[in-house]
Amino acid sequence: MSSAKKQTPLFDWHKAHGANIVEFGDYMMPIWYASARNEHLAVVSQAGLFDTSHMATLRVFGKDAYELLQWCFTRNLDSCVGKDNAPLTEGKCVYGAILNEQGHAIDDCLVYKIQDGEYMVEVNASQGGPVAKHLAEQAKGRDVRVVDLTDQIGKIDIQGPASVKIMAKLLKNPDQVFDKLPYFSAKGHFDPASPLAAQVQLLDGTPMLLSRSGYTGEVGFELFVERVHTVKLWEALMAAGQEQGLTPCGLAARDSLRTGAVLPLSHQDIGPWIFTRHPWPFALPLAAGSEGFTKDFLGRAALERATDAPYTLTFVGHDLRKVDGHEAKVFHNGQEIGTILTCATDMAIGRHEGRIYSIASPDKPEGLVIKGLCCGFMKVKAKLEPGTTVELRDAKRAIPVVIETDVRPDRTARKALKSFF
Amino acid sequence: MYPADCKYAKNHEFVKPLGDGTALVGISQYAQEALGDVVFVQLPEVGASFAAGDEFGTVESVKTVSECYMPTAGEVLEVNSELEAHPEFVNEDPYTKGWMVKIKLTGALNPELLDAAAYEAHVASEAH
Repeated sequence: MSSAKKQTPLFDWHKAHGANIVEFGDYMMPIWYASARNEHLAVVSQAGLFDTSHMATLRVFGKDAYELLQWCFTRNLDSCVGKDNAPLTEGKCVYGAILNEQGHAIDDCLVYKIQDGEYMVEVNASQGGPVAKHLAEQAKGRDVRVVDLTDQIGKIDIQGPASVKIMAKLLKNPDQVFDKLPYFSAKGHFDPASPLAAQVQLLDGTPMLLSRSGYTGEVGFELFVERVHTVKLWEALMAAGQEQGLTPCGLAARDSLRTGAVLPLSHQDIGPWIFTRHPWPFALPLAAGSEGFTKDFLGRAALERATDAPYTLTFVGHDLRKVDGHEAKVFHNGQEIGTILTCATDMAIGRHEGRIYSIASPDKPEGLVIKGLCCGFMKVKAKLEPGTTVELRDAKRAIPVVIETDVRPDRTARKALKSFF
Repeated sequence: MYPADCKYAKNHEFVKPLGDGTALVGISQYAQEALGDVVFVQLPEVGASFAAGDEFGTVESVKTVSECYMPTAGEVLEVNSELEAHPEFVNEDPYTKGWMVKIKLTGALNPELLDAAAYEAHVASEAH
């Protein structure tokens, strides 16, 4: 049944450490080790380690690489970095989507500028092939090449407030690496032949690309190394993180953490429908304070034409009970108004007097017992204001949930690195 | 993994007869492992009567919400109220701390239930 599935370099480690393995995309991946709940909590309060080698990495390079990405990617590379909308310069990365002509999301991704004429595009598991094909089709005579590096690279994410300290133990020059490294920036390179490779090295000299990013809402790093170094890096991180409670995490914790951080799962929360009216307007090249776009791009015309698009909204429940996201429907005032895209439980949050607190909230009331809250995304016909209560119904239960603009408060992703020492 | 003093249903509930016409009912070690972290257990009212195969509760894990079916006919004498605060008991020790309901057996045990060895073989065949 699983013979055709791929394994990451860490598959044997996962098996040897009790991981429950599931098929995900083309891969056999850990869904959890001993406890998805503890893994989720570890990332919010300490640190967790994720094997993300199943994600696909594309190299997009050539004189016209910028032009191709400016056409195919939903962020304006001239004005997408930080509050000031600065251009994407070397060492910066930016989150957005790749749309087709119908304005549907083919995938979401991070685009890194390595240097002029050289970009790295990180897409989802199994999407390397389709996205590379799409980019090559759109290149149409431009001087640009797209190469899928996925099978040559190992990727590990370390996420959570203790990840900064743990990472510092393993780097040759942590002070220099962490200096001027804001959220969504990167240093170093996994290719020893790159002039950037000297920027970030393990103590034994192994070069890596270290990106201050992740998909959990918590502070941390995405680490790219040559595939042969993957297990060594993982084991070094586990050893260095023992003191800080570093916990290996599977896909279940990754899913509940990203839901709590209001981040979409591609092909579930975004996908083959119009990429508009969702909680991620920052992923579009919108002019400040306006609905207008700041550049032309593939899918733009379809987005502008779409006047009857459904609304994707974020919701949070009152306790940890979920509904079956595949079959549940959304009801408002007794009328069916839509479907569920994601329904997960963020184990690190609870409600108290109408407010959501996290286990990491500095001002959480004394004695508040946090057991988790059901949360996720719904696709509905009507725009509902935050604070509106709707009902999610599946065959087993009906649960009231509230439309919200945020889920897990007091996330650490954007905090200054020095505050973690 | 599968204590010999229990009988098992093919859909992974156990019944542990206590020798006085009563029995404990819960889910097996295999079931709790497959579900992952149990975060919520919904149990019936004391006094409710069930036939073998009736749904008597639900177990919610991080992964899914699953129904629990009564492995043999009985009337609920007691529910494990500890599970309200500690649903993780189902993971930690499904046969002792993690039992779900205590029933008064109605008639003989369901003859379709498996003994530990047969259940282990059933689990092994399902895993492939």
